[in-house]
Amino acid sequence: MDKGVIEVDNLTKEYKKLKAVDGLSFTVYKGEILGLLGPNGSGKSTTINCILSLLNFQEGSIKILGQEMSPSAYDIKRKIGVIFQDVAVFEELNVENNIDYFCGLYITDKAKRKQYVNEAIELVGLKDFKKFYPKQLSGGLLRRLNIACGIAHKPEIIFLDEPTVAVDPQSRNHILDGIKKLRENGATIIYTTHYMEEVEILCDRIIILDKGKIIASGTSDELKKLATILEKISVEVCNLAPKYLEDIRKNSNVKEVCYDNHNLVITYYKGKNNLAEFTHYLEGKKIHYNRIFSERPTLNDVFLELTGKGLRD
Amino acid sequence: MTVFKAFIKIFNKNKSIIIMYSVILILFSVFNMQTSDHSMSFSAEKPNVLIINQDENIGITKDLISYLEKNSKKVKVEKDEDKINDALFYRDVNYVIYIPSGYRKDFLNHKNPKISIKSTKDYYASLAEMLLQRYLKVADTYLATIDDEESIIRYIHDTLNKNVKVEVTSKLDTGHLQKAKLYYNFMNYSVLAGSVYIICLILYSFNEEKIRKRTSISSMNSKRFNQSLLLSNGLFAILLWGFYILLSFLLLGSIMMSVHGGLLILNSFVFAFCALALSFLIGNLVHNKNAINGIVNVLALGSSFLCGAFVPIEWLPKLVLNIAHFLPSYYYIMNNELIVTTEDFSIGMLQPILVNFGIILLFSILFIMISYFVSKTHNKKD
Amino acid sequence: MFIHNFKYSLRILFKDRMLIFWTFAFPIILGTFFHMAFSDIEKNEKLDVINIAIVEDDTHKVNNIYKASFASLSDKNSKNRLFDVEYTSLKKAEQLLEDSKISGYLVFLEDVAKIFVSTNGINETIFKFVVDEIAQTETIMHNIFDTKINEYALSLEPHELEKLNSLYDDIYKEVLKMRENSTDSIQDVSSNNLSYTMIEFYTLIAMSCLYGGILSMIAINKNLPNMGSNGKRIAISPTQKFKLIFSSLLASFITQLIGVLLLFLYTIFILHVDYGSHIFYVILQAIVGSFAGLSLGLFVACVFKVSEGTKTGIVLSITMLGCFFSGMMGITMKYIIDKNLPIINIINPVNMITDGLYSLYYYDTMDRFYLNFVHLLLFSFIMIGFALVELRRQKYDSI
Repeated sequence: MDKGVIEVDNLTKEYKKLKAVDGLSFTVYKGEILGLLGPNGSGKSTTINCILSLLNFQEGSIKILGQEMSPSAYDIKRKIGVIFQDVAVFEELNVENNIDYFCGLYITDKAKRKQYVNEAIELVGLKDFKKFYPKQLSGGLLRRLNIACGIAHKPEIIFLDEPTVAVDPQSRNHILDGIKKLRENGATIIYTTHYMEEVEILCDRIIILDKGKIIASGTSDELKKLATILEKISVEVCNLAPKYLEDIRKNSNVKEVCYDNHNLVITYYKGKNNLAEFTHYLEGKKIHYNRIFSERPTLNDVFLELTGKGLRD
Repeated sequence: MTVFKAFIKIFNKNKSIIIMYSVILILFSVFNMQTSDHSMSFSAEKPNVLIINQDENIGITKDLISYLEKNSKKVKVEKDEDKINDALFYRDVNYVIYIPSGYRKDFLNHKNPKISIKSTKDYYASLAEMLLQRYLKVADTYLATIDDEESIIRYIHDTLNKNVKVEVTSKLDTGHLQKAKLYYNFMNYSVLAGSVYIICLILYSFNEEKIRKRTSISSMNSKRFNQSLLLSNGLFAILLWGFYILLSFLLLGSIMMSVHGGLLILNSFVFAFCALALSFLIGNLVHNKNAINGIVNVLALGSSFLCGAFVPIEWLPKLVLNIAHFLPSYYYIMNNELIVTTEDFSIGMLQPILVNFGIILLFSILFIMISYFVSKTHNKKD
Repeated sequence: MFIHNFKYSLRILFKDRMLIFWTFAFPIILGTFFHMAFSDIEKNEKLDVINIAIVEDDTHKVNNIYKASFASLSDKNSKNRLFDVEYTSLKKAEQLLEDSKISGYLVFLEDVAKIFVSTNGINETIFKFVVDEIAQTETIMHNIFDTKINEYALSLEPHELEKLNSLYDDIYKEVLKMRENSTDSIQDVSSNNLSYTMIEFYTLIAMSCLYGGILSMIAINKNLPNMGSNGKRIAISPTQKFKLIFSSLLASFITQLIGVLLLFLYTIFILHVDYGSHIFYVILQAIVGSFAGLSLGLFVACVFKVSEGTKTGIVLSITMLGCFFSGMMGITMKYIIDKNLPIINIINPVNMITDGLYSLYYYDTMDRFYLNFVHLLLFSFIMIGFALVELRRQKYDSI
């Protein structure tokens, strides 16, 4: 891997009483998509705002492209694009003008800007809505406009702060595809979200945050290995006698058995041959079952185990 | 109860606006209270006259000054030309008289000396000018036949003391009633601006709330919701009205205890009800918070100006008064005028007042009907 | 960059309908109200024809001098007509007074004139005044007659005594002539620009200037990262903050000047407001006034850490309170403040503009105008100073 594009070292940001970010250190490498995963209030947005020099912070240093970041570091700022959590567009300007306005803060050459604006519109799929005002756009389209405004100037480093909150599935796919395209074009992307599905399919590397601290980091697979469980089998069985539950529990690979409302959920420590063994057992006891499926652990399970709470609290 | 709690919250958020309108009302009233004359016998209106005497204060000059001072109100203005000009412009002084040095000598020597004056050219200035002219003419007339200064002055006195007897037939406490009228006329603005604005804001906030509740399938019955909303707003209107009434007792005192005061209060109550109905109409018609602010301001200021809440109604141009007939404020203010000028409240005298009550109530019903109609069609669209 | 932001700031401001309403339309609407309400006030200040009655029936006789005097004062063809007189019975006169059809009536009880009115007022006062004057004329005639008759009678032969009657007539004519001709010993040196309702329109101009504060406040707000995501987005762009702020301010200033200009055109050509003869200074005053509004908006935008709605409320409240103290809701208020609490004028930008326009209209000297002018500039620079301290901050503790 190359040298880090963004180097965050021991970042600490305190509000009056609350430590929003607590000794955070990480590096973002060129060309990767880094996912910052964590529940609401875990410090994701604060971290990004600190990196962007919008917020003061008490301790630590932030370097972007090897240079100390500051509000007047215009050379660096020129290479950054940000898509904020809230839609940041002007109600009074139409789609095209909004993108042109924000792009114009970076690119002064008119012809070049026009081309960039059109490319951005193309990228997010708002070609048919050029003359629309934000009020006339649906939530999903508005998010797309929000993204277009952030990336029209072709930044090398892109921050996306929960760009898919409250977005319909079609727009979400559009957005995720767009992000992939941006990476293909060579951008480095920092992506915060509390949707682990997105992180799983999108991110090269993931940092899990809780209460302003990194509690785990690595690729999706690496993280999943952190989980003590490796497989979860769910099966629909009618009226299962308690003695069978005891039977299943005896297996040393089984971590937990849960039976509720005709639904049996068994979690295993190791992940091999469990399904075959279990169906064999059921057939041996002549127990009828309807639906059966096996799941690998999700990042939510990992997060649950690490913090004792779900991601979407 | 939830509705009521939310109501209190919204009210709390906007209390600064209510305080602002109340402060303006109080200031306006207090400043209007300053002129105090409450005699029941006739006293001639006196202009405010300022005399700048550059002559020696003896003889005919002294007499002229004392005559003018006796028949006018003295004003304290610094003897600075700019200050005097300001005082004239704002009608603090109606008439400034400059007596030149050597006036007495020149007058007695038939040199016909000139007195410079500055005038506001209004009623009171005309009065002052009449006073001055009267004295000068009488003096001139006697000077034509008599040479002796002392005799002239004596004759002038003899002449100017001839005054006709005046009897005031009305037993009304005009001074106090006029003040009460001013206060209640101005209330047109406070009530409209204050209560309509707040109620519209509250309706607006609740409309938002209602939409939110509907989407989350509210357990609250919508009919009950509307009823308690109506109740809270009604209560608010009554409280605000009560506050203004209380204020009027504090500022105007005993006059409010009379029949006239009672009728003024009743009149304002009917009008407050109309304002409530109007608020519902605007609240139902306008669904933009900023627009509410604009509409209420135009409405409150407009009807106050056009109907004579700020400017005495008899001074308004005919055309404006004709337009005013389409506004409920006009009937409210007309009623205030009628109430303070009526001496005994027999059935015949009460009739025009009752008719105006009826018209205000008709306006209210009209507003309620339209807002009901509007909200009906609006709900159907949902 | 500068022009880019300027262009878009203009577009954003003009697209905001509420903003345009408050800064462009509202002052014009208010001005129209003022015009409708005040256009007749000063006409009404002058004397109207007063309706009176004189009781004349079998028991009440009217003195000839009175009759003649009232006849001349109620002459329909006279420019100085003062009364509309009705000769009627006592009962009718009482009824007329009770119905407020007349201001009062004159009746002779045993040859002594007496006036009946229902209230104290200007009309009643004038009525009394005139009757006094007639009575006084009578006295003058008697007095002069008395002094003259002594010397005159001595020179007359007994058979010429009827000449005394002609003497009386001569004096009567002479005195009446003297009384009717206005004396030329009074010289009016007052200014012609005395129309005090103009103050209303001056406060209106001042209000419009300060409402411009809302424009600049909104234009600045969009550049502030703690006021919303748009501000954050702008803050992370590689542009100098002050360049953006300055170009946004310029855009709001131009918008405001257009609004004030429209108001001027409307008040001058439609409402016929008189701004006096120093039109150049009036325009200068409006521009500096708008500048003060702009600085107020800048100050509120930067110093108060509250929502945009609340900031608008702050600018509106400051402006309206200022308008109140400079006479918009009652012209006397301005004078009361001027006379008793001039300290308020020193901090009230509305009054600085109003008073500046007033001094241009009414004063012959420019001192007062310059004083207001300097105050206004001082106010603006103090506001801008506070705002700059806040604006220099690049990072925030919380957003």
